[in-house]
Amino acid sequence: MSNYLIYFLVAVGLFAFAALFALFGVYAERKISAYIQDRLGPTETGKFGTLQTFADILKMIQKELIIPAKADKWLFVLAPVIIFVAVYMGFAALPWGPGLVPSKINIGLYYVFAIISIETLGILMAGWGSNNKYSILGAMRSAAQIISYEIPAGFAIISAVMIAQSLDLQVIATQQGVASAETVKFLGFWDVTNIGGILSWNIFRAPHLIVAFVIYFIASLAEANRAPFDIPEAESELVAGFHTEYSGLGFAFVFLAEYSMMFLVSMIGVVLFLGAWNTPLPNIAGLRLADWTTGIFWGIFWVAIKSLALVGVQMWIRWTLPRLRVDQLMNLCWKVLTPLAFACILISGVWRLWLM
Amino acid sequence: MTLVKIMFYILSAIALASALYVAAAKNLVRSVFMFFVTLFALAGLYVLALADFVAVTQIVIYVGGILVLILFAFMLSGRETLEVIQSQKSNFINLSKLPAVLLAVMFFVVMFVALRQINVNEADWVKTAVAEGNVIKPDTVLIEHIGINLMTRYLLPFEAISILLMFALVGAAHLSRKEPQA
Repeated sequence: MSNYLIYFLVAVGLFAFAALFALFGVYAERKISAYIQDRLGPTETGKFGTLQTFADILKMIQKELIIPAKADKWLFVLAPVIIFVAVYMGFAALPWGPGLVPSKINIGLYYVFAIISIETLGILMAGWGSNNKYSILGAMRSAAQIISYEIPAGFAIISAVMIAQSLDLQVIATQQGVASAETVKFLGFWDVTNIGGILSWNIFRAPHLIVAFVIYFIASLAEANRAPFDIPEAESELVAGFHTEYSGLGFAFVFLAEYSMMFLVSMIGVVLFLGAWNTPLPNIAGLRLADWTTGIFWGIFWVAIKSLALVGVQMWIRWTLPRLRVDQLMNLCWKVLTPLAFACILISGVWRLWLM
Repeated sequence: MTLVKIMFYILSAIALASALYVAAAKNLVRSVFMFFVTLFALAGLYVLALADFVAVTQIVIYVGGILVLILFAFMLSGRETLEVIQSQKSNFINLSKLPAVLLAVMFFVVMFVALRQINVNEADWVKTAVAEGNVIKPDTVLIEHIGINLMTRYLLPFEAISILLMFALVGAAHLSRKEPQA
């Protein structure tokens, strides 16, 4: 029975993490945007405004859940839950440290990729259920965008999988450090199995994976509906896109899903390309930095730091770049990213055959 | 009753109930969303049968691809078109339903007879497989077998399907192209 108790605890822990991260993420986003735009951001509530998002969520919980008279009530109420659950279920397969993964699945990466695609369905439900022109336009844009960008993202992921030869995220993670069972070569010629650190990360095992990582990162921005790909909720055109009609807890769930999604896609990127829970510090002769900084707690620390750094870049991009037009968006996806991702797959195949 | 059996019955009940709703509901969009529940329950059944790759593929292709495309078609077609479809008369007994009913009954008879005649657990090939230990365990990595088989034994069907998909792609690109101004 204690087994099941642990399962429940892990599930609740992941939910608590997602919720806490969303609170922290909204605060960070406000502070970063304020810094970029030369403002101060929240300052009044708590020290440096740290309690601002807690106050916001308290306000949201108290608010009335308004359901528009002509909305499809069931779809309208269920949509935010499905959007969030889709993202939340993705966390089940992600590794946090050596031997520390909520659910060890042989095809973990494929599972995460599948689960994320359910989010589209939730967004379409929200758009249709709201019975509002802005919502439906936003939902359609979002679906078109997510379906298109799944292709370059998928190919970038495949080119990393071809190097790693596994779909199990924990196996992919283990390969990129001193714990690796097989020989790891830096750029295909220098054996760094015992040196580890940043040198054995996937992006340095095969340099074309840097390109694949950039493709994945751009596509993941689009999948998380983040700027510069935020045309589904373009404020200046569509009020708030697919979540125009949501208030109170429904809106909170949509927001929670967006921030969890940011963390989820960053963490997948970290696991696939940036060494997962492995330390960036290499062993230098007698200075066994990599051995000292590998372990369960170090693993959690590194994976969290790297993912948070990527989330930080996502926020930085959001407040720096203007939004793309729909046609520019599709051009970028189909004419630039997809062919590049195909090239990455080809190079991966050649690399695997001749250099590894 | 083991946990697996309980899960099986729960998932089958969900799959059947939601499939019935899909077939019977008046509201087309809702029935599409209910179809999502059916597919998810089916994916759960595949997982219980240790076919995790099939389960995930089911979600990627049907939920992530086909369902979203169906919804897209709905949203582009507007309310009036949908209302025409929804307001069609549907008596319980209806001549136009005859082929469907016949097909369903015949299929049911075939399945029922087959189930009566074959005792699945006693079949020869099942017995030999169990005796030789040639069975899938929960921790077997299936994708390697799938990959090897696709590239050796089933290479010809695999290539044939890829050419078929290529046809479809070229055809779609041709259809959606702008006509040259005459």
